[in-house]
Amino acid sequence: MSVREPVIRVEDLHVWFELPGGGELHAVQGISFDLHEGERMGLVGESGCGKTTTILGMMGLLPATASVSGKVILDGEDILARGEDSISPHRWNDISMVFQGAMNAFNPVKTIGEQIAEPMELHGLASGKAAQGRVRELLELVGIAGDRANRYPHEFSGGMRQRAAIAMALACSPKVLLADEPTTALDVMVQAQILELLVKLSTTLGKELGLTVILVTHDLPVVAQVCDRAAVMYAGEIVEMGGMSAIYHDPRHPYTRMLFAATPDLFGDDEVISIPGAPPRLDRELVGCPFRPRCDSVVEPCATVHPRRLQLAPGHEALCHLNDSTATEAAS
Amino acid sequence: MSLIEPLQAADEDALAEGIARSSRPGFVRTAIAGNRAALVGLAILAFFVFVAVFAPFLEPYDPTAKTGPVYDPPSSAHWLGTDDGGGDMLSLLIAGSRVSLAVGFIAALVAILIGGTVGILSGYFGGKTDTVLMRFTDYMLVIPDIPLMIIAAALFGRNLKNIIVIIGIIYWTSTARLIRAQVKSVRERVYVKRAQALGAGNRRLVFKHVLPQVAPLLIANTVLMIALAIFAETFISFLGLGDPSTISWGRLIENAFTGEATINNAWWAIVPPGVCVTIVILACTMIGQSVEDALNPRLAVGHLSVRRFRVRTLDGKAGAE
Amino acid sequence: MVKRIAYAILTVFIAITLNFVLFRALSGDAVSALRCKQCSKAFKEAQRRDLGLDESKWVQYKLYLADLAHFDLGNSVPSEKPVRGELIVPIKNSLPMIALGTLFAIVFGTLVGVVAAWRRGTFADKGGLYTALGFYSMPTQWLGLMLIFFVAGAVGLPTSGIKTPTLGLFTDASTWEVAVDRFKHMILPALTLGLVLYGDYALIVRSAMLETLGEDYVLTARAKGLKNWTIVRRHGLRNAMLPIITLVALSLGFIIGGSITVEYVFSYPGLGLLTVEAIDKRDFPLLQAIFMLLTLSVIFFNLIADLLYFKFDPRVTT
Repeated sequence: MSVREPVIRVEDLHVWFELPGGGELHAVQGISFDLHEGERMGLVGESGCGKTTTILGMMGLLPATASVSGKVILDGEDILARGEDSISPHRWNDISMVFQGAMNAFNPVKTIGEQIAEPMELHGLASGKAAQGRVRELLELVGIAGDRANRYPHEFSGGMRQRAAIAMALACSPKVLLADEPTTALDVMVQAQILELLVKLSTTLGKELGLTVILVTHDLPVVAQVCDRAAVMYAGEIVEMGGMSAIYHDPRHPYTRMLFAATPDLFGDDEVISIPGAPPRLDRELVGCPFRPRCDSVVEPCATVHPRRLQLAPGHEALCHLNDSTATEAAS
Repeated sequence: MSLIEPLQAADEDALAEGIARSSRPGFVRTAIAGNRAALVGLAILAFFVFVAVFAPFLEPYDPTAKTGPVYDPPSSAHWLGTDDGGGDMLSLLIAGSRVSLAVGFIAALVAILIGGTVGILSGYFGGKTDTVLMRFTDYMLVIPDIPLMIIAAALFGRNLKNIIVIIGIIYWTSTARLIRAQVKSVRERVYVKRAQALGAGNRRLVFKHVLPQVAPLLIANTVLMIALAIFAETFISFLGLGDPSTISWGRLIENAFTGEATINNAWWAIVPPGVCVTIVILACTMIGQSVEDALNPRLAVGHLSVRRFRVRTLDGKAGAE
Repeated sequence: MVKRIAYAILTVFIAITLNFVLFRALSGDAVSALRCKQCSKAFKEAQRRDLGLDESKWVQYKLYLADLAHFDLGNSVPSEKPVRGELIVPIKNSLPMIALGTLFAIVFGTLVGVVAAWRRGTFADKGGLYTALGFYSMPTQWLGLMLIFFVAGAVGLPTSGIKTPTLGLFTDASTWEVAVDRFKHMILPALTLGLVLYGDYALIVRSAMLETLGEDYVLTARAKGLKNWTIVRRHGLRNAMLPIITLVALSLGFIIGGSITVEYVFSYPGLGLLTVEAIDKRDFPLLQAIFMLLTLSVIFFNLIADLLYFKFDPRVTT
């Protein structure tokens, strides 16, 4: 089996935020993963677990109160090395994003077409008529009639705006697409369409585009449907990562197991996950395993020793003491 | 339909977002405490209130008496010199704080009471009450404020009480608009509807549920209104329409003008009263602005910054505790 | 949009009516306020009959409307000359001065506001913010006095009136000299007005820009790789312009009120000063006319603001 180089590799990514009263919030605590061309990985977790911060950090879209450490290696280059300066040339060209609530990602006083063409013109890929042509192509790709490019965002429905946002993200033919909660606030029918689109884009067209997708969501069924792999995040760390079926059939972290077993909240608005208790505060150092207060399978070391990343099978790793005896240390 | 509707709609969205935050207890306190400018403003205001309250004890001389030569420059006897009647400027300034601040606070209260009531009634009951009240407010808004104020002041006698009432009557409209928008958002909130379903009377709902939610905005508005009222008083006094039996900072400025302080090179008669007014209004504006800013969540987020995020290297073991 | 124009016209009509009610009712009897030596009771009675003040209010109202239709604004009570004539020169004087001040305020207010928002948190921001707050908090008349005291002498600018009395008295003055003289007299009043307005506008622009820069599409623009200044220009300004233009247009309607104290301080013979004199002399017909003019200007600028919004915001279609 040939070993392909990963399209993007994240190595020990940390993100801290300065707090107004002093002190820091350690929002992302040592995230590492590799992604190969065409893969679709889901990044799952409750709100506040750091998944959005992680992908924002990968693109360098952090506020001035943030600091990062670690590497994001794209094409052999660590794009995070010099912060804003080293990242900004890669934005949209190599790595782009569909934001949460794409309804508002569009400027209401400019046409959709203008906004999709904007990055193309900026990065010198196309301009004028050529850009307009490409805009139409992109819109058709995501299932919107090409002549709607001259319309304003408010003339599109929520689902259409989401698609347009995906089209916009593909404008410069990036290698990696980060999708943050692309289906939240859309009704079920539209959700299904968007997911189908994402799969289509990265599989059939993936052969030409070679598109790699990271799908961030708190919605498990979505991940199960679309992704080949999943990384489960808790309190700023990846607590389990592996292929979809491995994770589903053989979860090696209590959190993962509880997530799949949790009943959806029928009366709530959008939080599907409901495990009793709340995630820990990230503005102070934690002793032991951060999940311990909510875990149903606590063992002796959990209180005092932070779990190590252990490899359980090729491509399947977990951060839990329950695996201590059966696994080997994961390659970092 | 008002002539300025699109703005209102945008404001209402922003206000609705701010509602969730403002319902937490101690919101105003946190908003002010967290903002250095606001704290400074509060300190300044407290200082002037203190001066106003204890004025008779703080004045070095009787402000109305001739205690020195006309337009005498500052000296050890008269720290701020004398005015065109030989009165001590410092004493006049201290005495003036009483009337200026009193007019400011009371007139603002009147404006807030009227505006707040109209806003709450309009926002809470909606329907015809809303339409009628808002039409009325719209027309009031169209009337030029300062000319009306001056005419009213000229006509209705020149005593303090009337001036306070006039200022209050002219400036209630912006409060009404603002409060109405927020009350409308609050009304939609689930628990108000639930309380209604349980049969709570209107009065109870307004006082227990609506008012606390609207309170932060009311407070911010009151403070800004105080600034406006003090401003208005200086205008009225300057045109000679103020109460002749009282001393206020506005009248001191007017005095400097009619007493030709410029020609007499008496900067000490011109500068201090205006500085006091400016500082007090500045203080009020900073306090009011900090609460309003806290209510608008979108102002807190800034996606653009001159400073950038920092890259650092981890020392010690990765993931160390 | 037609709806809005219609609504504006309706407001105008109601404003005219309210104007009538206000002044006829308020004044009780404009004539009774006449202070002149020969104003005996009989004379006042004759005046009342002359001006139609002895008729019922309803008849007076009809007369008032009829007069208005012919642009007849009545006669000034003290001078007995038509009000219309009295207004022309003061308006001609006020307009350039106010325009100058407003232009100053808009240009500098926008500049400072945008830079402050763009460079949020830096010295530029704080500096701009506090100067704006400072000027905004100053009583207009006091600022005028300060300028007279500290600036006028130093720079050699006149501090009152609209022209130097000796100009053209002994020798013929060219149009250029007259124009320069006029301009010199306009500077300080316009500056006073402009500085206070600047404070207001800078704060408005800064707020609007800050809010716009917190919108999601700004983050998107940053994600696309656009540079800060490009984002401010292309996305920030374009969007913030909407509320800014509206607020500025609205404030224009109230400017004359603000210029009253300025003209009083500088003895500048414009509409503001005329208003003060009219109040002093209880010249109600004149006041009524001025008031109507001011109200009409407010309504007019409200409508302009509305139409501008209509033109520039694609979301507004009615």
